[in-house]
Amino acid sequence: MSGEAIAFYVLAAVTLGSGVVVVTSPNVVHSAVALVPTFLGVTGIYVLLSAEFVAVIQVLIYAGAITVLILFVIMLTEGGTGIRARQRNEQGAIGAAVAAAMAGLLIAVAVRTPWARLPGTLPTYTPGAIGQSFLGPNLLVFEGTSVVLLVSLVGAIVIARKEE
Amino acid sequence: MRAAILIPLFPLAGWVVNGLLGDRWGRRAVAWVACGTVVAAFAVSLAVLARLLALPPGARSAAVVLYEWIGTGSVRAPLGLLVDPLSVALALVVSGVGALIHIYSVGYMAGDEHIARYFAYLNLFMASMLWLVLAGNLVAMFIGWEGVGLCSYLLIAFWFTRPPAAAAGVKAFLVTRLGDVGFLLGIFLAFAVFGTTDFTAMARAAGSRLPLGGPAATALALLLFLGATGKSAQLPLYVWLPDAMEGPTPVSALIHAATMVTAGVYMIVRMHAVYLRAPLALDVVAIVGAATAIFAAAAALAEPDLKRVLAYSTISQLGYMFLGVGVGAWSDGIFHLTSHAFFKALLFLAAGAVMHALGGETDMRRMGGLAGRLPATAGAFAVGALALAGIWPFAGFFSKEAILSDAFRAGRVWLWAVALAAAGLTALYIARAFALVFVLPPGEGSAGPAGCREGDAPRAAGHRGLAPGAEVADPPPVMRWPMGALALLTLLGGALGWSAARPGVLARWLGPLLAPGALRSSEGTHGSEAALAAAGLAVAVAGIVLVWLVYVRRALRVRSQAVQTVLAHRFYVEDFYAAAVVAPVRAVARWAGGFDRAVIDGAVVGLARAIGGGGAVLRRLQSGYLRHYAALALVGVLALLAYWMWR
Amino acid sequence: MTWADLSLIAPELALAAAACAALLQDAWATGPALESRSRGPAAAWIALGGVCAALLLLGVRPAGAAQVGFAGMYVRDGITRVVDLAALAAAGLGVMLSPPYLERFRLPAGEYHALLLLSTAGAMLMGASRNLVLLFLGLEMLSFPLYVLAALARRSRRSQEAGLKYLLLGAFATAFFVYGVALVYGASGTADLSRLGRAPDVPLLHAGVAFLVIGLGFEAALVPFHAWAPDVYEGAPMPATAFMSVIAKVGAFAGLLRLFPQALPQLAPAWGQMLAAIAVATMILGNLAALAQSNVKRLLAYSGVAHAGYILIGIASGGPAGSSAVLYYLLVYVAMNLGAFGVLLLLERRGEEADRVEDLAGLLGRAPWAAVVLAACMVSLAGLPPTAGFIAKLYLFRAALQDHRVALALVGALTSVVSVYYYLRVASVALSAGAADAVAVRHSRFAGVGLALAAAGVLWLGIVPGAITALVQQAVQALR
Repeated sequence: MSGEAIAFYVLAAVTLGSGVVVVTSPNVVHSAVALVPTFLGVTGIYVLLSAEFVAVIQVLIYAGAITVLILFVIMLTEGGTGIRARQRNEQGAIGAAVAAAMAGLLIAVAVRTPWARLPGTLPTYTPGAIGQSFLGPNLLVFEGTSVVLLVSLVGAIVIARKEE
Repeated sequence: MRAAILIPLFPLAGWVVNGLLGDRWGRRAVAWVACGTVVAAFAVSLAVLARLLALPPGARSAAVVLYEWIGTGSVRAPLGLLVDPLSVALALVVSGVGALIHIYSVGYMAGDEHIARYFAYLNLFMASMLWLVLAGNLVAMFIGWEGVGLCSYLLIAFWFTRPPAAAAGVKAFLVTRLGDVGFLLGIFLAFAVFGTTDFTAMARAAGSRLPLGGPAATALALLLFLGATGKSAQLPLYVWLPDAMEGPTPVSALIHAATMVTAGVYMIVRMHAVYLRAPLALDVVAIVGAATAIFAAAAALAEPDLKRVLAYSTISQLGYMFLGVGVGAWSDGIFHLTSHAFFKALLFLAAGAVMHALGGETDMRRMGGLAGRLPATAGAFAVGALALAGIWPFAGFFSKEAILSDAFRAGRVWLWAVALAAAGLTALYIARAFALVFVLPPGEGSAGPAGCREGDAPRAAGHRGLAPGAEVADPPPVMRWPMGALALLTLLGGALGWSAARPGVLARWLGPLLAPGALRSSEGTHGSEAALAAAGLAVAVAGIVLVWLVYVRRALRVRSQAVQTVLAHRFYVEDFYAAAVVAPVRAVARWAGGFDRAVIDGAVVGLARAIGGGGAVLRRLQSGYLRHYAALALVGVLALLAYWMWR
Repeated sequence: MTWADLSLIAPELALAAAACAALLQDAWATGPALESRSRGPAAAWIALGGVCAALLLLGVRPAGAAQVGFAGMYVRDGITRVVDLAALAAAGLGVMLSPPYLERFRLPAGEYHALLLLSTAGAMLMGASRNLVLLFLGLEMLSFPLYVLAALARRSRRSQEAGLKYLLLGAFATAFFVYGVALVYGASGTADLSRLGRAPDVPLLHAGVAFLVIGLGFEAALVPFHAWAPDVYEGAPMPATAFMSVIAKVGAFAGLLRLFPQALPQLAPAWGQMLAAIAVATMILGNLAALAQSNVKRLLAYSGVAHAGYILIGIASGGPAGSSAVLYYLLVYVAMNLGAFGVLLLLERRGEEADRVEDLAGLLGRAPWAAVVLAACMVSLAGLPPTAGFIAKLYLFRAALQDHRVALALVGALTSVVSVYYYLRVASVALSAGAADAVAVRHSRFAGVGLALAAAGVLWLGIVPGAITALVQQAVQALR
């Protein structure tokens, strides 16, 4: 087993393990904090795939900003840090079965697919190249994303605005 | 010929005008508009008839194409009319009888506050029905086909505040829609086979496109016949028609006796070229017709409700028409359709006059001895009843004998025998009804099943039934005149079909259009004709005499309780329907609708236990059924994935 | 990017500009106050101007060969044209039918109209997608505003609940869509829809396609991804319900059209069967559940599920016949569904929405025109001639038969028989003479014109369908 493979399995285990904590912990703060290793595990996989820029963004935005934002929201909520909610319900068994079946099917898909090894080099994921792509071939997507963000802003304002 | 488009347009205009402005006008204006437009349609029909008569018999067919309606790829259907002897004959019957019933309605509905709505629906019905008979292709006909169904639903449920009326309307619509699925699929099949549904083109191409007795011809004929069984209340889809009697009586006369229910017969005659290629389907038509004729006649025998007797009688007579067309006697089918329109409308109008006089009573057990008090009504009813029973010289005699002899000459002796027996039953039930209503003293009714139906007229709050000393009188002239006109037609209508040398007037008029039917031996000698007619007449007279003996003279008594019970339950067919069809459909609907109620309630309760605390908002927001929805979606995901893996 | 590229998306740009104008006008009219006070028709006029401008820009472009822009991501062809028409019709009617309701229930007009326009632009982008990434973006641009619109009534808990449910389940479904995009990309090495036809036939591609169906099937409310629809339809403010009921279908089916008949013809037998099974389940469940509803919004929600099943018949049948039938049905559905909702929007029961069937009693006496429009739309939804719904179903069933999918046509025909029952119940209550005393009818000239347009569409597409038939036929000419 190559070093890269070992690194992948370790990162995957970290991601999955902390992900399980996120959805099972009875304490919301624990759940929020457990997001950090999940995001970092994904970051590691980006690095393994030589997508350094995305990895950096992942750390900055997700592991950094978003987790902090979530924690702020929890603390600003009345009694937020004290909420202990049971995360499991009567659907637990069904959920486990469905998840197992889904995993099995996806693994079967991956195994049965003949993976073609394409010749050539990976594209460069430098900030410059990404910027070129956003303002070049992906311009429409870039513009469209801004519209979606505008909608999110309007939506947040509509929902959070004070009553008159 | 383009003027023919005016025939359906006049009543349509009446609908628009009365529907929009009727509430603001007085009753007189509403009535004038409604009746005037139908009379105008009748006048235009007459004018078109004159134009056709001026043409040589071979050239009496004109297509009036308004514009290309549906046009994509292989599906093409213009919106157009076909003006030919058949459609004009039907247009005359529909608009003529329709006009009389409109006029009658003016008197019958005089006390109803929603008269504008009533006449608007009635006019819309006339427009749809006239469109149906004049349409030039199957798709265009389907517009009228659905239109008359819609109007029938609206008019049956006209007094929708009464639950039986609303339920009857729904039942009528659903059952006929079952048949319409067959009709719709038939249209598709016709497109597939012919590439068109134009009647003329299909008739021309039937010989080459449809192999004799082949699966395409049989399937097409049977699918269309399924539509006809729904619309024309044949076995097994007849169940809606008796309940349809919840509507106002003129509606029963117009829609559920004279016009709409005969649309199935008309459609088969219209498509006769296809049916000729499918002998098996024709046999099915004939057998279903004969079975319906005798079954419904028997059911009518045990019915205590006057209108329902007439409803079963209509079903039975429609069976005769299907028997006629089923043995290939196209023009005799149309002949019986026409004479039935006259005498059954007359019977309904007379029944309406009785109810008018008795404040909406329809239970014959509460009537009796009315002949003296309602002489005109009794006379009209007697004329209709004699025609229905098939007594010479009324129209019903000629048309029924024509069909009986056609069945006999076609070699279907069994069907002839069944139809003959049904003729005996017919005489029996209508004579019984006449005896109960007009002859016997009140309270002498037969022992029918308990539980009388809701009355007819909405103003029935006051006296119901025959109260001693109550004022009972013949209806006003506006109702009496249409009855008189129909009685005259019933007397003279026989001339349309019977003449010393067959074919009769109607058969010669339709002749160039209709390919000869499947009659095995068309040469019947005068001797055998006379013998057949004598047999039919003898059976009818025997039926009437039997009633006289059983009910009036009490010489014979039907003792068998079992026979009474079976008859009273109409052979249990409706009970079977309720158990086997209606109940499961209702149960499934309840289950599907109740499903998320159950999920929601279960989830809310479950979550209340799970959280215990938390704000009400939180509980509502996270009421838990989200996760049920998500689980449902996930199961769907799994199913899709599994499908792609193992397909 | 070139001017040619920009001119391609001119209709979408017009909508976005109008959306910004509506927001700014609102802000300017409101001033320093916390909550928008502009409930007048200004925002509606701006939005209507945007829609008209977009229609104009759509109209001036000659209907010629397909034009591709933005590095092959965006295509403007016949399908784009019809989808744009349907989306703009939905937006136009949505704008015209809403003002009385917005005013009465004090919803923020600026935001409402801006979100409506942006959602419309999203549906149009989906119809013009030639790339899975753009399709995904269109889906987001379509659904984000709908989430907010569902929650627009701040004082109503049901509305808030509807918005949250829609958002969470929508995110859930969209996640599958993105995953599907990734798997398809992994299998074929491209997200370009025009090159998927040459993708290797491997399990990875199949799994990706299955996931893509989930995202689109959720928006279209196909079984078993339909569960959100009744709750969200019922909880959302009625103008939002009306608009989302049509725009989500336009966008989702445009996406399905781009994805299946157009991009993956080589897998047609496989996805045809899958979609046929979904269509059958959707038609049966939607119609049966609708039978038991007494709330009109819920009834129309299940009816929307059922109609999604009908439209899917066209996709499953594929080919030009199926695709043109889908496009035709979308246009018809916009007119008839918005017409039906438009009448409900005029009603009010003691300060609440009048959304029970019995609230319609006696409508004929008080607002005869509205009652007639409602009846016409119900008859059309039921698929009876001579309305548009009949022709639309005729085309769909014919496409199914042409593709030898007899079972699909049969189930479609039988379930439409069932549907007649619940549609006509609504119509007959509206045409009846009773009276729902507590229900008031609001008259509005703006909404009146909208209703007239919807009714005219329902009748026009049913009685003289020639021109539109030609348009949708021309649109799918490029399909094999």
